[in-house]
Amino acid sequence: MSRRSGFLFVAPALLLFGIFVLYPMASALSYAFFAWQGTTRGGFVGLENFVALFTQEPFTTQLPRAFGHNIAFFVGTMLIQNTLGLGIAVLLHKRARTRRMLQTLYAMPYLVSPIVIGYLWTLLLSPTFGPVNALLRKVGLDSLALPWLGDPSTALWVVVLVSAWQWVGFPVLLYGAALGGVPEELSEAARVDGASHWQTFRSIVFPLLVPAIGTVSILTFIFAMEAFALPYALGGSTGSPAGATDFISLLFYRTAFENGSTNAIGISSAIAALLFLVIFGGAVVATRVLRRHQDRVAA
Amino acid sequence: MTNKSRRHLAALTVTSAMVALAACSPSSSGGSGGSGDAKNVTLSVYSWRTEDVAAYNAIFDVYTKAHPGTKVDFKAFKNTEYNLKLTTDLTGSKGPDVVQVRSYGQLQPTIASKSLLPLDDVVDLSKWDANVVKSAKGKADGKLYAVPLAQQTLQMYYNKDLFAKNKLTPPTTWAEFIAVNDTLKKAGVVPMAVGAKDDWTLPMLHQVLAAPRFGASAFETAVMTGKKTFNDPDWVASVDVVKQLQPYLPESVVGVAYTDAQILFTSGKAAMFPGGSFELGFFQKQNPELNMGVFQVPAPVGSPSMDPTTTGYADGAFGISAKSDAQDASKELVKWMATKEFGQLVADKVKQLSAVPGVSYSDPLLQQMSENYTKNPTPYLLLVDFRYGLPSGSVLLGTGVQEMLLGKKDAAKVSTDLQTGVSQWFKPTT
Amino acid sequence: MTTTVRVPSTVADPVPSGPVRRRRQRPIGGVVGSTALWIYACAALIPLLLMVANSFRTTPSLYSDPLGLPWPLKLDSYRKAWTEGHFGEYFTNSLMVTVGAVALSTVVSTMAAYALARCRSRFFTILESVFISGLMLPIHLAILPIFYLLDGFGLVDSRLGLMLVYAASGVPFSIFVLTTFFRQLPPELEEAARIDGANSWQMFLRIMVPMVRPAVATVVVFRFVPIWNDFLFPLVLLRSREKYTVPVGLTTFFGEFSTDWSSLFAGLVIATVPLIVLFLVATKQIVAGLTAGLSK
Repeated sequence: MSRRSGFLFVAPALLLFGIFVLYPMASALSYAFFAWQGTTRGGFVGLENFVALFTQEPFTTQLPRAFGHNIAFFVGTMLIQNTLGLGIAVLLHKRARTRRMLQTLYAMPYLVSPIVIGYLWTLLLSPTFGPVNALLRKVGLDSLALPWLGDPSTALWVVVLVSAWQWVGFPVLLYGAALGGVPEELSEAARVDGASHWQTFRSIVFPLLVPAIGTVSILTFIFAMEAFALPYALGGSTGSPAGATDFISLLFYRTAFENGSTNAIGISSAIAALLFLVIFGGAVVATRVLRRHQDRVAA
Repeated sequence: MTNKSRRHLAALTVTSAMVALAACSPSSSGGSGGSGDAKNVTLSVYSWRTEDVAAYNAIFDVYTKAHPGTKVDFKAFKNTEYNLKLTTDLTGSKGPDVVQVRSYGQLQPTIASKSLLPLDDVVDLSKWDANVVKSAKGKADGKLYAVPLAQQTLQMYYNKDLFAKNKLTPPTTWAEFIAVNDTLKKAGVVPMAVGAKDDWTLPMLHQVLAAPRFGASAFETAVMTGKKTFNDPDWVASVDVVKQLQPYLPESVVGVAYTDAQILFTSGKAAMFPGGSFELGFFQKQNPELNMGVFQVPAPVGSPSMDPTTTGYADGAFGISAKSDAQDASKELVKWMATKEFGQLVADKVKQLSAVPGVSYSDPLLQQMSENYTKNPTPYLLLVDFRYGLPSGSVLLGTGVQEMLLGKKDAAKVSTDLQTGVSQWFKPTT
Repeated sequence: MTTTVRVPSTVADPVPSGPVRRRRQRPIGGVVGSTALWIYACAALIPLLLMVANSFRTTPSLYSDPLGLPWPLKLDSYRKAWTEGHFGEYFTNSLMVTVGAVALSTVVSTMAAYALARCRSRFFTILESVFISGLMLPIHLAILPIFYLLDGFGLVDSRLGLMLVYAASGVPFSIFVLTTFFRQLPPELEEAARIDGANSWQMFLRIMVPMVRPAVATVVVFRFVPIWNDFLFPLVLLRSREKYTVPVGLTTFFGEFSTDWSSLFAGLVIATVPLIVLFLVATKQIVAGLTAGLSK
């Protein structure tokens, strides 16, 4: 395609994105380099706000902890949500008749607003009034009737599970589309030769799915690092209980809007800048690896 | 035309239609931002009390009847997102005129943004409680930026019927208090309803149960002048009191939400509720049959002084946006908010203790709370004095007590962490 | 999709001798697989069904008997939620903003993705990185600058402003997914069309876009829902109640009915059901596109 027409094709997106996302984002990151008096910008302070993040309480404890939770959330989501999604997509692949019905059912939780999900699960899991524990007790599984959202060792995993429940439709759909792109003849031929479903999957389908898996993984990484709405709804802005569900975006929110420091905007922007760097670094590396593989396969 | 082109065209049409529709929609009416000529003004008022919208509308009706030509548009936004809304709307154009603002430390960023008009020559609060007026002043310049709205007190609510059924009366000594808890627990009732999942309730719990143990107002003076810190043994012991009383709190208390605790009390499953005067209206609405009383928790064993206390603090204030284009009308409204008439309306309709002195309370419980506070006042220390920086003292204690209740920290560690945290920004005034 | 097949060397000669008979497709996993799928489907729905069930009870009964059945049906909560909740207005606003944003975002992104996939100069590679970088900062961290920007344009308290912000925020994800799919299409397709005299735009519309229909469908679905359910931007960017979208209406509703669980659930059901209906209708189209794109 010629450069000129290429540019024309790209222009509308560039304009829209540039004005309404890129420019504000750059502003938000630049805020980190200034001192602030409430919403009035003060003088340029270089890296002072960033230094504060690594030398002052509460950030010296809360920042690494929140970051750790984001990473745990990523790993948990990969293991549970995406594996389950791949499995379901594979199972659905040949079931043309029921596929639409099932896909819709799996996607239902995704349609519900995270605030709603948060409220819903907080009530369901309430140790005093929740149906979940009431049911467990009735069935005799008293020892399992734990305070799910009140115990730091279980709270984070509740967030992972609820998130997986909500988003499983995403890998199902994306992997489903990718599976549709695997040539029929390949797997057919393998089956004729006597390969089992599993062997077919492992040697033929899976390697061809790697681009899709890569895409899903990168998007999951970004999603896990940015997670806000669901943790906010389940644990509030402090990541209850005792910071066990604290994520970096929650730290940003309460630093920016819920404390008495007049430099709130400066410090919270530094947090945002750090988050951006981490996500950017991770995703760029992953995309490069993915691109190289894609080129190899397509060549 | 191919199928896809047709669909593409359809998509384009739909897009253009939507864009056109939205563009042609009327932009915000002149309602917000006090527009209108000098004769007819509409003042936009913001608040976080979504629970009290009806009450405030009734209150402002009184004002508009007395001030023809002025209308009040009262808007409430959910408490958890209010700070965000306030920050953006005070700095943007066509913002509100009169805004409810936070008190003490949380007010300072708003003041530093130069978003509020100083009110020293608009209202005269010289006859008000100094602690209350402090809540609406700038820490740096000492100017008054808002008119305090309400005063809250913290005390122990109790269910009179449950007490009577178990032959109990409000305790006057610590031993009696423990005995009351034991009796209730044996009777299968949750003695005290607490929702530790919401950590902001925990510093309040600490004040209600143990303020005398750390020395109440005397301690405040000592800490503010640097003579004592939060590592003081009396303070540590007061934090430990909460731990000692854990058996009387709901099971798995850190998993119990604040709203759950409220329901435990109003449904009669719990006999006591350590809470603020702001709960009263809600409790009465939830269960009009509930026969409630309040009492001051007796001083724990070992307290420097054996007098019980009622903790109090100012909660919320109304200020004027510096960008308002109806400043005169706003000043009139705010002046009215410093009058006894307004205070009385707040007391009657919103069921809160008014910051305005001299208000009488028709509700006997409110009256009792007000009297208790006048007799044995002590400030809610961490809110009043320790929210002026990052990290906030009340947040540190709240999450610390959560960890203590979970068995992860002891009272000494919680106190040390609190001291380390606040010493990052707190400078005693010698 | 690819017309030339690259057969890995581990697979033996794929062409069997003798007549080729088309075997009947047997679904993977057989009956066990089907059962597992349906069990999970039901399990996924139970919490939502609980939500609906609880909306038909009274709040006190929810607290005294968490596992009770919604019988007899009590409709008070729905009455309360509907009359005091203004959900009809909110729904129209949400529809307007979301459809507009998704349509705008998808159209510009598909065009851009095509160019990015096909132009191999350094300029376009850099451009692509710029777009992808948009994925890496959650847009709600930039809420203050966005507010000031729209304020400067006079677009605060305007559904158009909200729509533009949402459309722009959808561009990175859409481009990310679409370029991947565009890249998998062989260049021979366009070469053939170019020989026939088609220009870039015609190639784009007639050939490339139909081939990435599943990706477009995926992008539309995965932009629609987050935009519909976002509560932070309408909170900050809208002022008049008649312009509120459903999530903002929900949060104000939550504030007023904080412990009236039954009414809360009724409100949640009212807010969610239209979206489910919309989704069911839309999926039919999307899956039709998906399967059409697969059969070549």
